[in-house]
Amino acid sequence: MSCGVLDEEEFSRCCQLLLHHSDSVGDGWSWEAVQSSDEGYLKKTVLRSVPADQSITQKHKESGSDSEQFDYCRFKTEEQGVNGSADSLRPDVEDEDDCVCRAPGGSSCSSVLQFEYHVLYSCSYRTPVLYFRASTLEGRSLTLEDVWNSVHPNYRLGLQSRPLDAITQQEHPFLGQAFFFLHPCRTEEFMKPLLQMTWDQNRPVNYVLSWLSVVGPMVGLDVSLDYVTLQQPTV
Amino acid sequence: MADDKDVLRDVWFGRIPTCFTLNPDEVTEREAEPYYLLLPRVSYLPLVTDKVKKHFLKVMRTEDVEEIWFEHEGTPLKWHYPIGVLFDFHASNTVLPWSITVHFKNFPDVDLLHCPSNSVVEAHFMSSIKEADALKHKSQVVNDMQKKDHKQLWMGLQNDKFDQFWAMNRKLMEYPTEEGGFRYIPFRIYQTTSDRPFIQKLFRPVSTEGNPHTLFDLLKEMCPDALTKDGEEKRFQVVIHGIEPLLETPLQWLSEHLSHPDNFLHICIIPTPTD
Repeated sequence: MSCGVLDEEEFSRCCQLLLHHSDSVGDGWSWEAVQSSDEGYLKKTVLRSVPADQSITQKHKESGSDSEQFDYCRFKTEEQGVNGSADSLRPDVEDEDDCVCRAPGGSSCSSVLQFEYHVLYSCSYRTPVLYFRASTLEGRSLTLEDVWNSVHPNYRLGLQSRPLDAITQQEHPFLGQAFFFLHPCRTEEFMKPLLQMTWDQNRPVNYVLSWLSVVGPMVGLDVSLDYVTLQQPTV
Repeated sequence: MADDKDVLRDVWFGRIPTCFTLNPDEVTEREAEPYYLLLPRVSYLPLVTDKVKKHFLKVMRTEDVEEIWFEHEGTPLKWHYPIGVLFDFHASNTVLPWSITVHFKNFPDVDLLHCPSNSVVEAHFMSSIKEADALKHKSQVVNDMQKKDHKQLWMGLQNDKFDQFWAMNRKLMEYPTEEGGFRYIPFRIYQTTSDRPFIQKLFRPVSTEGNPHTLFDLLKEMCPDALTKDGEEKRFQVVIHGIEPLLETPLQWLSEHLSHPDNFLHICIIPTPTD
């Protein structure tokens, strides 16, 4: 690892370690190999419940004042002890890990969404990239608007102000299907100080795990603290 | 070289005669006539099909119209691929004009990206340019450009202005003389025989011994099955902008002259037609 990026071999190694830990805590990550090559990616599928009248079908204005309509049911924000470097992307989080179902009219959670997360390697940017898609159980794909509405409102403002960090649709490089992805061009920028800090403190670090703990929560992907306590040195 | 500049123009002004027909299952108020158009190879479907859309909307009721999408012989066409790549990959050995079916319903949202406006096309285009420069120059050239320079690249493409585009793009085609070429070559290889949408990996234009890599070297590394072995019949054509360049062509030259405006070299491997 050097200067905030990693090569493909290191990526694979970090993924294998993450998988090992995932298996031991039952977190559900798997490795998908690409036909007859050593390329592959991490995959995880998550089911999430959503209030019946959540804005899958409604239009939402993109403003902080809408947060009372926002469903916190799906997200826990976790502090991974790397605040210093990731501050530019992670705002001050006031409500931590409260699973509160707040829906207009007080109706209860009723529909279920399936989220699929894929972690691929970008050889152009030499960083991991997060691809994801979501659908109802009946197979209806969620739109970009639905996805924007599912992002924690605090992150949403930050994401919108930097368009290249924003969530956009992209073709999955191996499956050829429509996914959303977080553009990787800024990854090096926020990983550099993060990695520097761990080196300065002589702490072991798994690049993919650290990176995932920063970007995952932005799109509803939890990274359990168990990973941090279990991981072994990779540097 | 005067010849090389001609190549840039020939690439830019390449056109494909196309016939657009409305999907027969669409509900119309009267019969829809086909619409004929010359499509620029280097552009993208949403940028050049406003007239097509208007033409078919005339025979439809607004309630029957959803997001437009295009299909060729049952295959949804990916609007984020350059038009020339779509043609070479799907239809190069079919009779001209290229037949494209227009749909206004049942958008295949698993396979196709949505395209609600031209700004989505712009975002994709600029994203490709930035990725190409990450490979060529570690993003240094594109990051040194100002926002208005980026805009000029996009406007040049959108408005079919060769000079406006290349005034900026030439910066992206420069490299330190001592290097002999770009850091890595931005390319994508599309194979009809593969499940993968494309192959994109790191590949240098010059070998460690200092010899220029050729198109043959690239294919040998990325998809050796596409190459004809000695004594064998030629099973595949290697097509770029509708032509089959000599396999001995230096890759660096191809990258500088036969890239698309997105700065990627798009290479289609298609089966040789059996007459």
